[in-house]
Amino acid sequence: MKELMELTVSLGSELMTTVRLATGGICSAAGLDLERSEDCKVCVTESLLLLLHAGYRRARVKFSSEEGLRVALSGEGEAGEEHPVPEDEISAALIGALAEEADTRRDGGRVQGVSFKFGL
Amino acid sequence: MEERELFAKYRETGDVALRNEIAMKYLYIASVIAKKFVGRGVEYDDLYQVASLALLKGIDRFDESKGLKFSTFITPTITGEIKNYFRDRSRIVHLPRKVAELRIAVRKETEEFLAATGRKPTAKELSERLGVPEEEIVKNAEAGGVVSLDRRAEGEEGLSLYEVLPDTDDAFERIENRDAVESALSDLSEAERTLVALRYGKALSQVETAKRMGVSQMYVSRMERKVLDKLRETLKRGMAE
Repeated sequence: MKELMELTVSLGSELMTTVRLATGGICSAAGLDLERSEDCKVCVTESLLLLLHAGYRRARVKFSSEEGLRVALSGEGEAGEEHPVPEDEISAALIGALAEEADTRRDGGRVQGVSFKFGL
Repeated sequence: MEERELFAKYRETGDVALRNEIAMKYLYIASVIAKKFVGRGVEYDDLYQVASLALLKGIDRFDESKGLKFSTFITPTITGEIKNYFRDRSRIVHLPRKVAELRIAVRKETEEFLAATGRKPTAKELSERLGVPEEEIVKNAEAGGVVSLDRRAEGEEGLSLYEVLPDTDDAFERIENRDAVESALSDLSEAERTLVALRYGKALSQVETAKRMGVSQMYVSRMERKVLDKLRETLKRGMAE
């Protein structure tokens, strides 16, 4: 597994587009086709939303190449108050439907991290 | 009414009013998911329509006794339908029928497996369930992917696929093909040759061709079938000789 890029982002809507753009660039470098790149961008956005609703203010996003692209996202720092929304279930299910090996790490129901893979 | 109770009652009665109530209750899921796919060249309204239809189909397929929440069950179903819609819209190259049929079977099996287990099946599991060799499943998964010619060619520093793909247009082969077609056309009647020129030279529709030839569209259709059979036979004979 080769590390490609690691980002620490503040979880605000103003940075989502930047993260999506960076994800698109990494997907292209990893050789993913357009459809998978778009799916990967959706999964990254949904994961960040899950972490935001879990009370995190920052998240770490790690991209590695592994016969495609593996993405691991985790909350950074102390988590504040949770404010889950009904759409969180849809977000988690959507990641499961679009990506391979999707895994949501939780502690007592609170999301701590999400990881998934997109094969070539 | 609680989710389980609502679905159990619908399952028991098949009451359309109840199904509509369920659809209205969960229509927001179709909207939420449709929005995630905006920006890929399809309008939100179209995506919402595809998602809503998938929701309706999903209501009939959902089995509340399996312990899954409806939102967890329906999300992959709606996502699958939207992705199929994208694929069908963008399919420029038609796949051979056998390959296309296997793709549909794999897609259906994958959705059912995902709904039942919460994960995607492996090639081996698909192979066992569909009774198709694992190799075929893998080969099938590779078929139909559209690749941009501008994409970077592997191992070719800085060059695109377009720049490194060999030219398949063999001039000698082209001349040979033209000779064969010319010879096959000489076996056709004057009217048949006119039809070929209009339909395949000028690319006119059957209706347009019929107008120009002063005959009915039905007549053109029948004549075209006959001409194609004749040409096929002549070319086949030519290749055998």
